[in-house]
Amino acid sequence: MTSAFTKKPFVMPLLLLVITMLLLVMVNLWLGSVTISWGDVLSTIFSSPTSSQANIIIWDYRMPQVFTAVAVGMGLSVAGLLLQTVFRNPLAGPSVLGISSGASLGVALVVLTGSAFGMDVLQSNMMLNDMAVVIAAFAGALAVMAIILYVSGRIGNVVTVLIIGIMLGYAVSAIVGVLQFFSGAQELHAYVLWGLGSFAKNSLIRSEIILLATAVLVVSSYFFALPLNAMLLGENYARSLGFNLKKYHTLLFLLAGLLIALGTAFTGPIAFIGLAVPHIARAWFNTSNHKQLIPATLLLGANLTLLCNLIARLPGLDTSLPINAVTSMIGAPVVIWVIVKRSKMKVT
Amino acid sequence: MKNLLSIQNLTTGYRLKKGETRLLHQNLSATLSEGEFVAVLGPNGAGKSTLLKTVLGFIPALKGEISYGEKKLQDISIKELATKVSVVLTDKIEDTYVTVEEVLLTARYPYLSFAGDYKEKDRAVVDQAVSLTGIDALLMRKLHTLSDGEKQRVMIARALAQDTPLIFLDEPTAFIDSPGRVELMHLLKAIPSEGKSILMTIHDVELALHFADTLWLLGKDGSFEKGNPRELINKGSINKLFDRGKVKFDKVTRRFV
Repeated sequence: MTSAFTKKPFVMPLLLLVITMLLLVMVNLWLGSVTISWGDVLSTIFSSPTSSQANIIIWDYRMPQVFTAVAVGMGLSVAGLLLQTVFRNPLAGPSVLGISSGASLGVALVVLTGSAFGMDVLQSNMMLNDMAVVIAAFAGALAVMAIILYVSGRIGNVVTVLIIGIMLGYAVSAIVGVLQFFSGAQELHAYVLWGLGSFAKNSLIRSEIILLATAVLVVSSYFFALPLNAMLLGENYARSLGFNLKKYHTLLFLLAGLLIALGTAFTGPIAFIGLAVPHIARAWFNTSNHKQLIPATLLLGANLTLLCNLIARLPGLDTSLPINAVTSMIGAPVVIWVIVKRSKMKVT
Repeated sequence: MKNLLSIQNLTTGYRLKKGETRLLHQNLSATLSEGEFVAVLGPNGAGKSTLLKTVLGFIPALKGEISYGEKKLQDISIKELATKVSVVLTDKIEDTYVTVEEVLLTARYPYLSFAGDYKEKDRAVVDQAVSLTGIDALLMRKLHTLSDGEKQRVMIARALAQDTPLIFLDEPTAFIDSPGRVELMHLLKAIPSEGKSILMTIHDVELALHFADTLWLLGKDGSFEKGNPRELINKGSINKLFDRGKVKFDKVTRRFV
């Protein structure tokens, strides 16, 4: 008799992803406007630095970028996966809860109205104003998340939460629009630059903290694999399997919200990663089981952001393209491919 | 025989705006005993699904008491209830990556530890459900590629694999052709009756009369009657509930003519 416990190849592809990720990390450290030999890269990371220049470039510039890219790739992708399952909607992503818009509002308030309150965000000490931006973004994201959690705790219906999240996003964007309308050219430019996203804004220490916090949240999402699988059958079936959905929804919104806040506040909003990566993971691993999807998604996410970071730095190797432009150019075709594939599957 | 489910003076319906309610049935009392196959019959809109959802705790009861064994529904946690009742619902599963096997394995979640490892017993119960429902060949298929009849067999296998004394089904024969419906009823009837009971809403009167041990008749006017099919037919209860215009239920052939 056929047993319902067949093992699918799963560990090998994951291992492959770990290897490609490590390779991408190395290439990210090696490639850039200043050429560093492979030998110098390796000795700088693993033993004593051979030259002080290589040491500075790698530890002060390239390593923080790598850590940030990995953290954001893992975090946003897993957040997207959680939200797509909770909302049972393939087009759900980090933007649907309005949390990244909340971060944008926080930054807009500080950057665009800062001068009106005598807080000269643009001209003052670089480090300090940068910190103000991060705090503002985080506060904005958490404020929207608090509203979402309140709504989800009061009303059990996820569709209501979805609609309120999207509407909050619109409302918040409208406020940002008004702020932009009344702000000066310099401030506007600074805000637009923030909105294009960059992995290169963080110091080594800060990037390590982002990576660590993201890793903790991503790993804890693994403990929700069973309720997430049950949710794929619909809310009534999930409940009949013993899962208190109100509780799990609120916890998952909290988890996804923190990941999005982390992934937005320190880099600016990064488009399409959270939406596209879970689809790539499902298609590649050909499964809906979250015990496999969560590790697959986080590794694919890290690989993709590292790749995007490379592409952003490639042309001429002098300046880097805005990361948001690169993730959108890669993410949009992926989403189109998924939608086309889905509609084909429905027909046959 | 042991009562697995007892309903006492239950009022079903919905709370609308402040203080207002829309009542469906009042003072409904019934029991479901070990090995019993009960069909809940009634015209569309009589509140069959509402009754089922109320008994499951999905919708709050407006009045009255629901008990599983000795324990009242409000004292049973969602997690504990999952080991007492499994369900087959009309809800659609939309994810296109879900396989039949993955659906079946969710049935063991109420029994799994935090780590989610399947034990020997879990495997045995799932395998038994697969062979009883004859879905061996479907295991690796994606759920959305199955026909409605095949899907329903899978969902019944899933309910069996949850290994609960009670199985509730909401309109299991909807969207299935006539031979498929009869096949499905035979499958339900064959579910080992030792300790297992079935409560099923259905709108196919002829099928229910043929297969069920007991009928619960729900009227649109809030009426409620229960009994075995023959009793209820002879009393004219079926006629009272379903006859309209020229369409009448014939007591001898047990058909609508």
